[in-house]
Amino acid sequence: MAVPLAELRRLAIVKHVIYLLVAAAVAVPLIAHLLPGEFEPTPNARKLFDRVEALKPGTRVLISLDFDPGSEAELLPMGMAILQHCFQRGLVPLVMTNYPSGVDLARKIVEDAIDKSEEYLGKDLVSGADYAFLGFRPGDVNLLLGMGENLKGAFQTDYYGKPTANMKALAGIRSLKDFELVIDISSSAWVELWIVYGADRFGFDYGAGVTAVMGPDMYPFIQAGQIVGLLDGLRGAADYEKLLAQKGRGMFGMTAQSAAHVLVILLVLAANARFIFRRVTGKEEA
Amino acid sequence: MAEPNDNVSSVRKAIELAVLLALLGVFVAVSLFRQWPFGLKGVALAKSIGTIIAAGLTLVMFSFLYRDNPLFKVAENLYVGVALGYGAVLTWRMALREEVYKPLFMAPTTEALYAALLHRTVPIILGILLVMRISRKHAWPSRYAYGLIVGWNAGVGISLRTHTYVLRQLHAAIAPLQAAVATGSAAALTGPWFLDVFFPFVAALAVLIGTVAVLFYFFFSVEHGPAGKAVSKVGIWFLMVSFGASFGNTLMARLSLLIGRVQFLLDDWLMIGK
Repeated sequence: MAVPLAELRRLAIVKHVIYLLVAAAVAVPLIAHLLPGEFEPTPNARKLFDRVEALKPGTRVLISLDFDPGSEAELLPMGMAILQHCFQRGLVPLVMTNYPSGVDLARKIVEDAIDKSEEYLGKDLVSGADYAFLGFRPGDVNLLLGMGENLKGAFQTDYYGKPTANMKALAGIRSLKDFELVIDISSSAWVELWIVYGADRFGFDYGAGVTAVMGPDMYPFIQAGQIVGLLDGLRGAADYEKLLAQKGRGMFGMTAQSAAHVLVILLVLAANARFIFRRVTGKEEA
Repeated sequence: MAEPNDNVSSVRKAIELAVLLALLGVFVAVSLFRQWPFGLKGVALAKSIGTIIAAGLTLVMFSFLYRDNPLFKVAENLYVGVALGYGAVLTWRMALREEVYKPLFMAPTTEALYAALLHRTVPIILGILLVMRISRKHAWPSRYAYGLIVGWNAGVGISLRTHTYVLRQLHAAIAPLQAAVATGSAAALTGPWFLDVFFPFVAALAVLIGTVAVLFYFFFSVEHGPAGKAVSKVGIWFLMVSFGASFGNTLMARLSLLIGRVQFLLDDWLMIGK
């Protein structure tokens, strides 16, 4: 049955009103700098935090930032928070990416985390000693398998062109088997490739940060113990910031997200109430 | 003679054009006001200009919410072009230059050159074969390279993926109590009984029941009897809950993208978020 023109116009107006309401729900909390109320971080976020916390100072942690600017909103705050946590704990993060289009973003995250951590620690962090940014190497899963045999062979130089052979940040690291913990922040299948070709094969503990869309797909791996801790979407980033006692983009974003969620719930309820009302009054066909 | 609808349409177009020009003026004014003087406020000149362009393109993309328009089309095509160009530059800088050009044409010693030739000649030839797919007539050699890729991936992947996706998952699914304790914290036996022991056990049990029920739902080899239909029904419920969780998370992810863009507009363009 064709929909009358008047009904289409009404729907178009309703659609635009909903867009404006969503825009307002998101923008107003951000403009007003509203922080979320008290909330308890999810157990999966706490597990990752606790695993990082349990590492001894000086331990090398491999962090792979496998995303590009398309997923920046959710994953950048996670990367920032985890890197800052590593620096605060005196760990040595080795950062890489499997996304060629994410190299500049990964470098920016590392540099911003260093700036904030230097301010917090009151000392300079030295590239190649306190951390290493390895950048991108082509090879896909071959790279992971290569890193499992000889990490310095897979990354002969860091992003800045410095040889890794005698780099202090990589001292004691021969392959992936020498890592206690590897963390992947990912918007793609890389999060699972790290399990298949990395964690399950070489036996390190593996933590992950993923977009909210991917979150439900990760729960079987948590249940099986293949992922020791998980950050799931913007909420995951806010959880980690909360555990670090920081107020970053994740925390501020959560207020906007909560407001938008409330709006969506109200709209769903209103639309269903209208539908039921019209059914009861006979204005809507069954 | 002009139809009344034509008059309405032309008036509407004139109004839309006027609104567009007004918005453009507001955008330029706000950009100059907030970002001026360029290069100061601790922000580099290039970054200021880049921020204004990014903010403009973001707003143009949002204009699609009103309706499709020429500016949106321009931005859309610009994105495709820029992404293609960026991809080409990255491929050269991060793959071809580092893995082919530098080892072969900038080798520091003769030994390094020989080593590069030894290790890279075959991969380079295989890479060239892959590129030959661009010609229909000469595409056939690419099959050898693809055959190698498929064979290698199957050989390496089958065993590893079976271990990850089947054996480990099966183990966790058929041993719910063990999995619950394994994924629980070290405090599982000393912490609150309900939260640390009972709840993980029930959750793991739900995973076991869900796995069996969903697998049974997709088992079409024999006709489902009354008991089979009941188990299938349970499987459908688990699937529905799973779809609901995925949809909720998808909504959250899309809102996060909007939040990211609004944070950019407020923090970097308007400089009022920080």
